[in-house]
Amino acid sequence: MSPTRFASEHKWIYWGAIVLLVGLAVTGLIRYEAVKANNETRKKAEQLQTELVKAGYPSPDVDTVEQLLGTDGGVVCEQPGNALKAALWKIQQSNGAAGPGMRPVISDTKALEVERIVLQVYCPDKVDDFQEELNDLKTDDTVRR
Amino acid sequence: MSSIDTPAEVPRPRAATQTAAPSTMTWVTLALMTTASVASLRAAPTMAIYGLACVFLYLVPAIVFLLPTALVSAELASGWNGGVYRWVAEGLSKPLGFLAVWCQFAMTIFYYPSLLAFVASTIAYVIDPSLASNGVYTAIVIMVLYWTGVWVSSRGTKALAGLSSWGLIIGTLVPGTILVVLGMVFLGQGNPSAAPMNASHLLPEWTGLASLVLIVNNFLSYSGMEMNAVHVSSLKDPAKEYPKSMFLAMGLVLLIFILPALAISWVVPADQLSLTAGVMQAFDAFFSYFDIGWMTPIAAVMLISASLAGMLTWLAGPSKGLLEISRQEGYLPPFLQKLNKFGIQQNILVTQGVVTSVIALMYALIPNVSSVYWIFSTITTQVYLIVYLLMFAAAMRLRKTKPDHPRGYRVPALGLVCTVGLLSSLAALGIGFVPPSQFGGSSVWSYVLFIGCGLLVLGFLIPWLFLKFRKPNWRTAAAGAPSEGGRA
Repeated sequence: MSPTRFASEHKWIYWGAIVLLVGLAVTGLIRYEAVKANNETRKKAEQLQTELVKAGYPSPDVDTVEQLLGTDGGVVCEQPGNALKAALWKIQQSNGAAGPGMRPVISDTKALEVERIVLQVYCPDKVDDFQEELNDLKTDDTVRR
Repeated sequence: MSSIDTPAEVPRPRAATQTAAPSTMTWVTLALMTTASVASLRAAPTMAIYGLACVFLYLVPAIVFLLPTALVSAELASGWNGGVYRWVAEGLSKPLGFLAVWCQFAMTIFYYPSLLAFVASTIAYVIDPSLASNGVYTAIVIMVLYWTGVWVSSRGTKALAGLSSWGLIIGTLVPGTILVVLGMVFLGQGNPSAAPMNASHLLPEWTGLASLVLIVNNFLSYSGMEMNAVHVSSLKDPAKEYPKSMFLAMGLVLLIFILPALAISWVVPADQLSLTAGVMQAFDAFFSYFDIGWMTPIAAVMLISASLAGMLTWLAGPSKGLLEISRQEGYLPPFLQKLNKFGIQQNILVTQGVVTSVIALMYALIPNVSSVYWIFSTITTQVYLIVYLLMFAAAMRLRKTKPDHPRGYRVPALGLVCTVGLLSSLAALGIGFVPPSQFGGSSVWSYVLFIGCGLLVLGFLIPWLFLKFRKPNWRTAAAGAPSEGGRA
């Protein structure tokens, strides 16, 4: 193959990758909806704050919680017990590797438990699915607080 | 400490003096490829939970594992072309060289589905989060991305070197810098760090075995540093340039792992990070603080490009090493040794692709497979540790048996460095048998048995079968004959 054809084919690969990534970013920006703070989001965030403090966690920033979880818990409440989501969640409970060195570790108890409290406040009907996953885990206090 | 030297009285390394193939990449590109193989921001939220202790969790493994791996592979690659198969073949034996590159290759088969499942869920986060729980969607994304990666890899090293380097820059270096700058702005505004940054938080919580598992398993954060040495012959002057490339990659990897994780821990408290499941949601928490939540989908796209860049380097590296030794020694059937017009091991890539596709489809479509998939990451990392054991042993032996072989770089106190590397690898191998959280309260011995059997089958039985059933006429190239851009 001639060097010219080789280079022009490469150009197509690069342009293809750029178009796809930019297209995805634009789609993401269009679809992105900032949570609009209202009485409902505030009420939920404060409820979560109360529950967390009761469970021994430091009080979270209510404004950030409103932004993250809105009124319905956002992505956290999106089928938490689904097999694929649970699988990825389990794979993610790992060491600090970002490549093929990723390996599961013994996770921190409080870091995992906090998600159950979020579900309890924002989508109590989905707690059971997640609780099953959580019950199967053996954890320890590995984070210094 | 370390030095890069080519004394005048010593003949220059073979790699540097031969004039065969033209160089196809610079040492900076190779450094970026190496960094892309190992590091990304994917782990930053996970490690940010540990606060200041994440520095310890990355630095200690860097001293006992990253440094030995980087230094030893720098010396070996500056003396011998071809990567780990060649080093082990020269230092120990050719069958062990095959075992080393097989282990490097085999573990990637299980890595791709989990990596691409993460990419699929990140794309879903950008487009429509409900897709993340859809098996058919996940299967389609994995298939399309994986086979596109195979196609790009089969176009030659130059194509993937460019893509993976840019993937690292766009997907890791740029967003990593943004995270760190925002973190500094946060502190500069007079805000106290969310995670305590005092001496008492330098070390992680000690809870016995769980902490040991965390620390030792972090050695593996750096696995893959030596993998791109297989492309060393694509450099203009491998003897001098490879060590430089390795040192640059080492610095980049450390910065990418430590600084963004610290920046996140300054802004978002550990327990607030855990409020939301998932990597992207953690980034959302970070950006939401600065009222730039719209950055999250852009960060997601960047993370996708970094993950795909990493995949490309893994597709090209181990399969090339497997091809090289198989052509020279006839370890694989001729069908698998066939090259395409770009000199790429297309049939190995396609065969690997078929196996990976089957595993990926099972992962995406069969809940019983996906729910236990995490266990394969333990087995494959165990298999990968065999590569390191062989590499350190080979380096020590080569210093004894071929002390005068020209090397562009010599590791000071090689024996000590290799011993530290060997002990670290053995410790990681041993700790791999300790059940993690995901195994729950089931029998420890059943876990040990499962991991042990996986290690035996994938790491020993399959390569042994290839060696046992090989035929003399499978040898298709004289020892040392190159494929794409290769020089012996």
